Amino acid sequence: MKRVLIASLLLLTACSSTEQPSTTGVKELEVLYKVEPTWPHLEKMLQNAKKQYEAAHPGVTIKLTPVQGNNEVYYTKLALLNRSADSAPDLYYHDTFQVNADVAAGKLSPLDDYLAKWPDWQAQYADSVKQAAKGGDDKIYGVPISTDTRGLWYHKDVLAKAGIQVPWEPKTWNDVLTAARAIKQKVPGAIPFTMYSTKIHGEASTMQGFEMLLYGTPGGTLYDETRKKWLTGSKGFTDSLTFVNTVYREELGPKLADAHNAKLGDKVTLEWFPKGELGIALDGAWMSAAWRPTAPKPWPEWQDKIGWTRMPTQNGEAPGAVSMSGGWVMAMSSYTTFKQEAFDFITTATNKDNTLLYSVGTGDLTPRKDVAEDPSYTKDNPTIKFWTDLASVTHYRPAFEEYPKVSNQIQEAMEAVTTGAQSPEEAARTYAERLPSAVGGPDKVAATG
Amino acid sequence: MRRWLLPLGPALVLLGLFMVGPILWSVYIAFTNETLTGSASVDSQFIGTANFVRMFGDENFLNSFLLTFVFVIGSAVIGQNTLGLIIALLQRGRSRTTRGVVNGVVIGAWVMPEVVAALCWFSFLSEDGTLNTVLGLEQEWLYTAPMLAVVLANVWRGTAFSMLVYSAALSEVPRDLTEAAAVDGAGARQRLVHVTLPLIRRSILANLMLITLQTLASFGLIYTLTGGGPGNASQTTPLYMYEQAFKYFEIGYGSAIALVLLVIGALFSLVYLRLIRVEE
Repeated sequence: MKRVLIASLLLLTACSSTEQPSTTGVKELEVLYKVEPTWPHLEKMLQNAKKQYEAAHPGVTIKLTPVQGNNEVYYTKLALLNRSADSAPDLYYHDTFQVNADVAAGKLSPLDDYLAKWPDWQAQYADSVKQAAKGGDDKIYGVPISTDTRGLWYHKDVLAKAGIQVPWEPKTWNDVLTAARAIKQKVPGAIPFTMYSTKIHGEASTMQGFEMLLYGTPGGTLYDETRKKWLTGSKGFTDSLTFVNTVYREELGPKLADAHNAKLGDKVTLEWFPKGELGIALDGAWMSAAWRPTAPKPWPEWQDKIGWTRMPTQNGEAPGAVSMSGGWVMAMSSYTTFKQEAFDFITTATNKDNTLLYSVGTGDLTPRKDVAEDPSYTKDNPTIKFWTDLASVTHYRPAFEEYPKVSNQIQEAMEAVTTGAQSPEEAARTYAERLPSAVGGPDKVAATG
Repeated sequence: MRRWLLPLGPALVLLGLFMVGPILWSVYIAFTNETLTGSASVDSQFIGTANFVRMFGDENFLNSFLLTFVFVIGSAVIGQNTLGLIIALLQRGRSRTTRGVVNGVVIGAWVMPEVVAALCWFSFLSEDGTLNTVLGLEQEWLYTAPMLAVVLANVWRGTAFSMLVYSAALSEVPRDLTEAAAVDGAGARQRLVHVTLPLIRRSILANLMLITLQTLASFGLIYTLTGGGPGNASQTTPLYMYEQAFKYFEIGYGSAIALVLLVIGALFSLVYLRLIRVEE
């Protein structure tokens, strides 16, 4: 019996060991990235990079592996592929807030040695940009492809109909809510205000939604840098949830079914704004890219119809406005065998041409100085300077290993007030109760006031 | 003995590798704090029953558990089971054409892949969907009545199975028994309750067991139709397990939930098997 089993095992291993990369002597690098029908920009950039790279590096092939779907789907797919060295991609497009968890898991390769020999790193990237994918060990784990800031977009006609003076410059949260109330009253058929506030939008709800509020409250932050503790129970936290609650209880936001629709972002940019059915959107710098001539669904009139302005702090506290910044990087797996070749692909993918191609497509802000100075970067996009200047008031997420788990708890709290299942106070209390287990113990949490 | 092992060997090895192995692994990690990434993924600790203690204090889990119960009772035990029996009963003695058409329609829903069935229901129930267009309403069904939507969708999709089981069982009921009952003056209802149902009771129990287990683990239909939402209004335990394991990356906790689900399935089967044996 044993002999039979062993024979079958041998047969199996014989079957599975046919797949060896060395048969042809060609080195292959697998690059994982995400693509959506309305978001083909990264794919275009990587295809271009593949062409350039393969021409310059005979003997190395680039295998582009797309993940179809939104960011949340991409995070899951990447985490699962990264479970084993055999399935892990060599290089991947990575959201900066996920970097530290992967550093802690030993899945990423530090790039410092390679970066030191790459002239562009010194010449083209500002110091603040270089930090984008810095690990807890102060090493650099990714080269930035994009960065961003956040604020308010509004439809000029809708605001004008509501009797609000355009250009509109709200100074406090109350100004924003007052404008939304005026739209609700005077412009029937238009959604006054929209923001991401449900679990289905994942990190977008946390960052574009909640943190844009919290970091604009007095002393508002998720993490106390000096005490090295995650914070609960602040007034700013409850106030931020109260803002969300007001939006939905007063019916100033989209219908709840839309608030829970995974395609809310597409509805805002491709449907509601072009049709003049939306007043104000709290969203990111990239939004207008959806309307440019080369986009899947261009909207030529957008520059006349759409305005953009800073998101005010709660009561107009200095510096008067708030923004959050994140971004994406190209990262290298710690499992890759051909590290130098892989790094060379990163430099190709993030060279001036490709970064320009990407930024012009997505509307993200560029991390490279030479791209920022290129006339074609700003040509079709009059908003670039505004969003770039928001860097003076922007905040970064506390990019620790635990952050993604904290973000999940924030999404739970936001969704609870969005649906009305909990009051802002109750949701803040639930957050305080669950935070310790999310960040790894009560000693990592502190209550404020 | 060796003779049967030779052809069976490869299958046993494959089963061991791809089924028993993963099952044992998932039982093991249910007792650890394993995560998909982060420091716990390289240095996971054995934490005993902490995951299970956490689960029974976790409101969201308890909510999912209740919804799973509603889903199983509503869509399988009541919906599919009763509807399947009624259709099978009504089909007795009908013409071939009628049976062919009815069978075709009911089984059509069943052969459809889960995701396709869910998309059909999505376009039927969505705000600008068929139902609202026909009725002239602007009701957001998937938002206002998510559980009803997933229960109906699952009844629609799964009834064929029960119908087939009952058609087969009913064809085994000897006609002379029902005729004798009729001669003795039993009405249609009495014949059903006192003759037909007792004769097919074992098929009923077997069918109940099978559809309960299928429905308990149902994931794709609900995931595609409502995603478990809004909020967690239709988040049954398999969806909650998926969220914890693959969205929040807590694979240890997710496996613990899976294990509990497995135990519940096993308990249901035990009850049904017990009932069948009592019958015998």
